[in-house]
Parts: sequence; structure tokens; C-alpha cells
Amino acid sequence: MARITKVLVANRGEIAVRVMRTCKELGLKTVAVYSEADRTALHARFADEAYCIGPAPSRQSYLVAENILSAAKQSGADAIHPGYGFLSENASFVRACDKAGVTFVGPPATAMDAMGEKTRARANMMKAGVPVVPGTTAPFANADEARAYAKQIGFPVMLKAAGGGGGKGMRRVDREEDLDSAWRTARSEAMSAFGNDAVYLEKFLDQPHHVEIQVFADTHGNCIHLNERECSAQRRNQKVVEETPSPILTPQMRAAMGEVAVKAAKAVGYVGAGTVEFLVDSSRNFYFLEMNTRLQVEHPVTEWVTGIDLVAWQLHVAQGGVLPFLEPIKPRGHAIEVRVYAEDPATNFMPSPGRIVELRTPSGPFLRDDSGVYAGYTVPNTYDPMISKLSVWAPTRAEAIRRMQRALDEYVVKGITTNIAYLKGILAHPEFQRGDYDTGFLPRAHQQLLGVEDPERTKLARLAAVLRAHQRAEQQARQLPTQAPTAATSGWRTSGRTLGGWKRS
Amino acid sequence: MARAHRYLATDLSKKAPPAEVDVEPLGDDRYLITLDGERLEVEAQALPGGAMTLRLGARTVVAEFEERGDEVGVLLSGQVSRFDVVDERKGRLRAATASFEAEGKQTVLSPMPGKVVKVFVKPGDAVTEGQGLVVVEAMKMENELKSPKAGTVVEVFAKEGSAVENGAKLVVVE
Repeated sequence: MARITKVLVANRGEIAVRVMRTCKELGLKTVAVYSEADRTALHARFADEAYCIGPAPSRQSYLVAENILSAAKQSGADAIHPGYGFLSENASFVRACDKAGVTFVGPPATAMDAMGEKTRARANMMKAGVPVVPGTTAPFANADEARAYAKQIGFPVMLKAAGGGGGKGMRRVDREEDLDSAWRTARSEAMSAFGNDAVYLEKFLDQPHHVEIQVFADTHGNCIHLNERECSAQRRNQKVVEETPSPILTPQMRAAMGEVAVKAAKAVGYVGAGTVEFLVDSSRNFYFLEMNTRLQVEHPVTEWVTGIDLVAWQLHVAQGGVLPFLEPIKPRGHAIEVRVYAEDPATNFMPSPGRIVELRTPSGPFLRDDSGVYAGYTVPNTYDPMISKLSVWAPTRAEAIRRMQRALDEYVVKGITTNIAYLKGILAHPEFQRGDYDTGFLPRAHQQLLGVEDPERTKLARLAAVLRAHQRAEQQARQLPTQAPTAATSGWRTSGRTLGGWKRS
Repeated sequence: MARAHRYLATDLSKKAPPAEVDVEPLGDDRYLITLDGERLEVEAQALPGGAMTLRLGARTVVAEFEERGDEVGVLLSGQVSRFDVVDERKGRLRAATASFEAEGKQTVLSPMPGKVVKVFVKPGDAVTEGQGLVVVEAMKMENELKSPKAGTVVEVFAKEGSAVENGAKLVVVE
């Protein structure tokens, strides 16, 4: 396989920067692609070269294979790393790369075909003897079909995009009358996220754990697993906090799930980094959920406890290299990651794009902030609201929790609302601290997580707010009396006020 | 001694009535504050970048601010609180105008900057409470905005495909 010298990263935000960092360490040249909305984005500034690939909407830029390949040709990049999302799980893009003679850093198109479309993956896994969640193995033609099937297996059900994961195009449906609205939004979200509006249905398991296994395979037939990640802390079906090892896994379960994950990967001729996601029910039975045929958002926690740079391994395998280890790796210590989102937990996690006026990121021992933004940057309203991933390592879980709490205390983002206060709420919650939390945890604890009130602090805050208003009024009174009062425009929002979707007019 | 100024501070995270806070300047950045019947002497010094250091006795805390109109956000001990702060006169004026507000007419506003991807209703349509009116997309998440009440759609401002600002009027239901 051809030697890689220059890597185009077909992505944006933190993951593009993260991939480029490893490339730079390996002495590889980096190429960024950006949409017109991302001209000033961190990844476009970070790369050795950057190429514009179209207007702001993903479907006209980050999802257009020809534009990316033409940037690869123009820059002389000999490899394309897709990151996660966008074209990372698109088999026709892999074929287009092959045809253009550019190395795609990821699995072969055939493995993606077998796993990428979730319905086909389920059928393939059932054939390979891997346990799956009850549900359909083909997408529905219309809402009536979905309704009929949902009534047959019984509500609640999960509507899911066949074309991709990450919580996009996914809706839990509790009642028949909610199906139409969920059908519409799930399909249209799936279309804009993956360019494929096919959705299928699964039985909604009551409050399962979401545990996934990292697998790695090379082109020489070797395939190993790199242990699990516990990803049950989810809001709107998107992960918010991930950790490894999973507090609920016994060594026996780890070995059994690892074995099934390797079997699943081998069944489809997998190559590179992949993740096999499982749901674990209250009796600790596990079911195959889907395989993500790419690098995961939460890969840093695995890197922390294994000491492996997964992107470096991806590049190594893409050049025909043999996996450096063929034995299971025992995890060392404990790692936790939190996702910092530009969103307001108090208003149903409404995205909060805007200008970051001030940014102070945490530092200190055993801590990593994978950020895609900078102070003064305007978070566009076109893309995913995640702005950074903060991860920490410690010898034990309890110490890792305390380290993360300390780190979050240092994190200040002004100008936009973020979920930082909410993340602190999660870390401090007894259910999280005990370690036995399922996917129902965040919705269940929502009110508590919005803020545990300390009356003394609230009193001081009120006092400060009034003094601020008073000093401002005094200052204005000293200025020209005819001058209109002007509010300072700077500011932050680390947790928000309750903004209703309507008000009386 | 200078006259005390009375302010009304509403905690925006709660559905509680505003609290009265009296501020009496004592000079040299010192103030006598009356809050919930408690009298506190505070020294407030401005810090660069819009922050403030507050001293109550020997205890000192640092607060940072974000202001939008009458809304004052306070970052204190790693947490944010948001208050609506007005002086007594403005508070009375507001209470007076509020009683003249039209009953029953409700405007659905865009809760964020984004793009209108779907409009399900037109003027004259009868809607039920919770019925989907408009879908606004921002950052790849689609949010279906629902009718706050049962009634009739009287105005539709939202246009499919158009960009909207935070707080933009979308639909009026009566």
C-alpha cells in the first residue's frame, strides 16, 4: 500500500484539529477543507493548507464527494481522513477515493456496505449469530407502515436513521399520536445529516446501558478489541459523558462482549478503527445495536487508558501496517470525557450559536481539551453544537470524577450558552457517582441537573446583579442626560434562563 | 447621607415575584444593601474586563457579568444566575402596562437563530394545543415548535427556507 505523506481531513471542528495534530506529529502535511461558513474556523487555520469546498449547508460542502476529491487533487493529498459524521460512513465516497487513487483512512467500502446501513447490519449480525435488539431489518416506505409495525411490537419504540448514528434522525416514540411528528422530523434530520432519509424501527428497551467496544483490524487479518466505553449518559439520544472502564462490566462480560465485537468486525472483513455498540439490559444481557465504521467522538478515553494514539494506528493500518499489539490490552486507570455543547439544557438543549467573547480552558495534570473553537470565533448555526471534548485520566474512577469537576470549574465560555453547569450537575449526581446509571439517567434527573441551588450563592449573585445595574445607572446619569442607555454587549452564558418558545404579545 | 435606591430583581430561573433590593451608596465604592430584611455592607470594586470584586466583611468574591438590556447574568462560584433588574419606577410602569396586554393572543417566537424548514399552518387554520406549527433547524437539530394553546392561526410570519433570528415572530395563535 502506498506511503502517506499528505492527509486531507474531510471534516471540521475539533475532530479535524485532533486528526491534524497526529499527522503533524508523524511529519505528515495537513490539508483542511472548509465551507464558506467555516473560513475562519479553527481547523481551516490549523492546517498547512485549506481549500473551500462550497457554501455553508453540509449537503453543498462537507457532503459533496467531488468537491473534496478535487481539493485532494489540487493539494496533492495522498490520503483522506474522514473524521466522524459527514462522509465517514459513506461507502460510495470510499469507492470514489479508491477510483481517484487516494487512500481512504478507514474500512473498505464492502465492510461499510455491510455495516453502514443499520438495517442491513442487523440482518448480517443475526446471520453471524450476534444477538440484536428486536426490530425491523428494512426501512419503511411510509408512516403508516411504521405505525402498523410499532403497534405490532408495542410502544415505546425508537425510530432510527438507517444511514447513520450520532442521535441524528433518531426519535423515541411513546404513543401512536406522536408518530407522525417523529416520522417527519427523524426523516428530514436524517436526510440533512446523511443524505439518506430511510428510517427503521426498533423496540425501545427500557433504560438499558449503552456500552461499546473499540475494535481495530489490519489488512493482514488481525483484529483485536481495545476494551469498552460506557456511554449511557445521553440527552436527546446523544452522548454527553463517556468513561472507561465501564463501572458495570465484570471482566467476564468485557471478555464476552469483546469477543462478540471482534466476531462482528471479522464477519464483514473490517479494517481500521471501528466501534461495536451494545445495549445492556437490567439482567446484563447485551444486544448488538450498530457498528460505527469510523473513529468515535469519544475515542480519547480509550487513548487515555491504553496509551495508544488511535489516529496514528489508523494511518499505520491504512499504509498496510500490522497491528503493533495482537493481545488484549488491560486498561490502566480510569478516564472520563465530557462533551461541551453550545446549547441550553434549560430549554430542551436548544442550540446556542453565536460569538465566543471569552474562552478560558482548563489545564493541569492528566487533562486534555479537544477544542474546535477559539475566543472571538462565532459558532455558526449550521453545524453540530459540540465545541469541545474535555477528558481526564486518574488512577481510580473517584479521582477521575474529582479531576473532571475541578477542570469544569476552570472552564469559562462567555458569549454563548453552554452545558458546562449541567455537566457539573452530572458529575456531582449520586447516581453517576455510584456508577450504575442507564440511558434513562439524564432525562430522569433533568430537573436536578439544571442546578442545585445554594441559597447563599443566589443571594450574593442577586446582590451583585443589583450593584452592577446600579453602577451602570449611575454611570449613565453622569454622562449626557439625552444619551440613550446602552447595554454592554459582551457576555457569556454557561447556563441559561428559561426561554419559552412563545410569550404573550 | 445619600438616599437609598430601590431595585426590583427577578430571578429568571424561577417563577417567583421580584425581590426588592435597596442600595444606599456610602461613598468610596461602599454600599449598604437591604435584601430580604437583611442589611449588608458591601464594598464593590470594578475589575478589568467587566468583572467585580465584592467584599462583605473579610470575605471577598469575584463576579463576572453579561448584560442584555435589563437582564443581568452573573457568573459566581462557577455557576450562572440570570436576573432581570429594574429600578422601582420602571418596575411600576411595567406592572401598569402588563394589565393592558391582550388576553388570549399568543405569539410563537423562534427560540434560536436558525432556518425555518417547515411551516405546517396558514392563517385561519384551527389548531389544538401542542400541535406542530413550524420546524426550525439550527446546528443540525430540528426543533418542532408547537402551538401553546388551542385556537385559530391569525398570522404566519415564518417562511420555509428563510433564516430567522433569535426571538423572531413565527406564528400568532388566538
